[in-house]
Amino acid sequence: MSLELSVQGLRGSFRLQVEATLQPRGVTVLFGSSGAGKSSLLRMVAGLDHCDGAIRFADQTWLSQDVELAPWQRPIGMLFQQPTLFRHLTVQGNLEYVARRRQSPAGQQAQVIEQTGIAPLMARRVEGLSGGESQRVALARAMLGAPQLLLLDEPLSALDEAHKRELLDLIALAARTVPVLYVTHNMDELLRLADQVWLMKRGRIIAQGPASQELSRLDGSLAQRADATALLAGLVADYAREDHLQGITVGDATLWLPVEQRLVAGESVRLRIAARDVSLCLSAPVDSSILNILPARVVGLREVGPGQCLVQLALAGQCILARISGRSARQLSLFPGADVYAQIKAVALV
Amino acid sequence: MLSEGDWLALGVSIQLALLTTVLLMALCTPLAWWLARRRLPGQALLEAVLALPLVLPPSVLGFYLLIGLGPNGPGGWLAEVFAQRSLAFTFTGLVIGSVLYSLPFVLQPLKNAFSAIDSQQLDMAAVAGARPRDRFFSLVLPQCREGYASAAILGFAHTLGEFGVVLMIGGSLSGETRVASVALYEHVEAGDYVSAHRLAAVLLGLSLLLLWGLFRWQRRRPGLGAMP
Repeated sequence: MSLELSVQGLRGSFRLQVEATLQPRGVTVLFGSSGAGKSSLLRMVAGLDHCDGAIRFADQTWLSQDVELAPWQRPIGMLFQQPTLFRHLTVQGNLEYVARRRQSPAGQQAQVIEQTGIAPLMARRVEGLSGGESQRVALARAMLGAPQLLLLDEPLSALDEAHKRELLDLIALAARTVPVLYVTHNMDELLRLADQVWLMKRGRIIAQGPASQELSRLDGSLAQRADATALLAGLVADYAREDHLQGITVGDATLWLPVEQRLVAGESVRLRIAARDVSLCLSAPVDSSILNILPARVVGLREVGPGQCLVQLALAGQCILARISGRSARQLSLFPGADVYAQIKAVALV
Repeated sequence: MLSEGDWLALGVSIQLALLTTVLLMALCTPLAWWLARRRLPGQALLEAVLALPLVLPPSVLGFYLLIGLGPNGPGGWLAEVFAQRSLAFTFTGLVIGSVLYSLPFVLQPLKNAFSAIDSQQLDMAAVAGARPRDRFFSLVLPQCREGYASAAILGFAHTLGEFGVVLMIGGSLSGETRVASVALYEHVEAGDYVSAHRLAAVLLGLSLLLLWGLFRWQRRRPGLGAMP
């Protein structure tokens, strides 16, 4: 089930014009600075704001020249920045409000309550809930009625770190069964959740593709950022008990990272490697304290900012970035196709 | 305690206040929604006109109504609807006068209550599957209970306290247009201070009871302001 958008609309000072196709599975992160039009686009998809053009979802037409479905006719669930619980109702009342109107399948409510862990809150009035509790209830409410698409508009922005992590896990869990369009300007959330990325700038989507690809594109705006980071897909391998290090295989290479608890072998995981944590050598160093030194091949180079150079590397069939000084790039005479060793100072699970 | 005529007048007052309140609730709900949630051209002027009864001497309003509702006035056609020659000096005329006179007391609390509704709540209800009419009954109405209670009590109490307008257009026909406040005035005119005292005490008690109830209820449910 995929969403096809071809919409235009006026939004304050600029025109929003978007052509995009949502992948039918996983989380698509709509990324861009504030004021780029992300929330507006989401509201147009929901039918809350009017726009021209066409929106198709699976075999349904949501918007065309002669059709415009209202929000209550589109099979969606939504979260805003603020939990926006109905303040005259209890938690239970909030869930039932949706369940009744969206014809929630039997047993779904119990399952969602269990999944989001809100059972102890059911009888409470919404005014007394904390920010984290409120947003969990709001997520549960959005998932009721079996929506075929979840639209999430910066749902973590009002939460503290601990609650962010908790809600991110719940969103990732929800995304296993329903496609999610997730608006944010936060790089951490993108790295944590994104399967696909839509980059938005001044009312237009300037790039769309798989997250790992968009993150490591030399000409992409994500790679130009100071916090440019690449994602690697890996599989959990051996655990070195005496060193508390977990091995993760990426293609034919193995990376080691410190973990508090060993992971389940064979599980697939995502690793994040920041470009500024990667340095390059021409030969394998034998006297380095750095744990992860892997052979890689230079794919491309690009100057970013004064005296800074971004190097795209192929590593076991995937891509990472290294941000080094322009002088280093010259001294090593790097060129596309050159074989190097990537010293990875820090790698983390997302 | 009260004479039969005074009970009759009190009955007319309460009947008038009830009918006026019901009509005003129905009329002011869409009007207050428009004024609170939309930006209309000429809105400030419209609101000023609607707030006029707050500051205008009731006799001014009564005078214009007397002219307007009379057989030669622009409201003459309205009289025909009710199969009467003139609406002045009829209960129907009193209801029309009261509706205009008490309108701001119902309109303002409703407008304040509607303005206080977060538009994201409405958006969320739409996404949750609620159509506009459903949203009004399932979200707006319960969230504006305080506003509606204020509007109803103020509209009722204010109509009960009406004097200038009814004096001009009422004509003091017993059982038809003689309301309690006018009956009181007539007692004083006739020098019957005993009856005047009794009726005045009943009106004072009734009004105090209504406002006391309103403010007690508002204290218990802190939220929206009541007074215009």
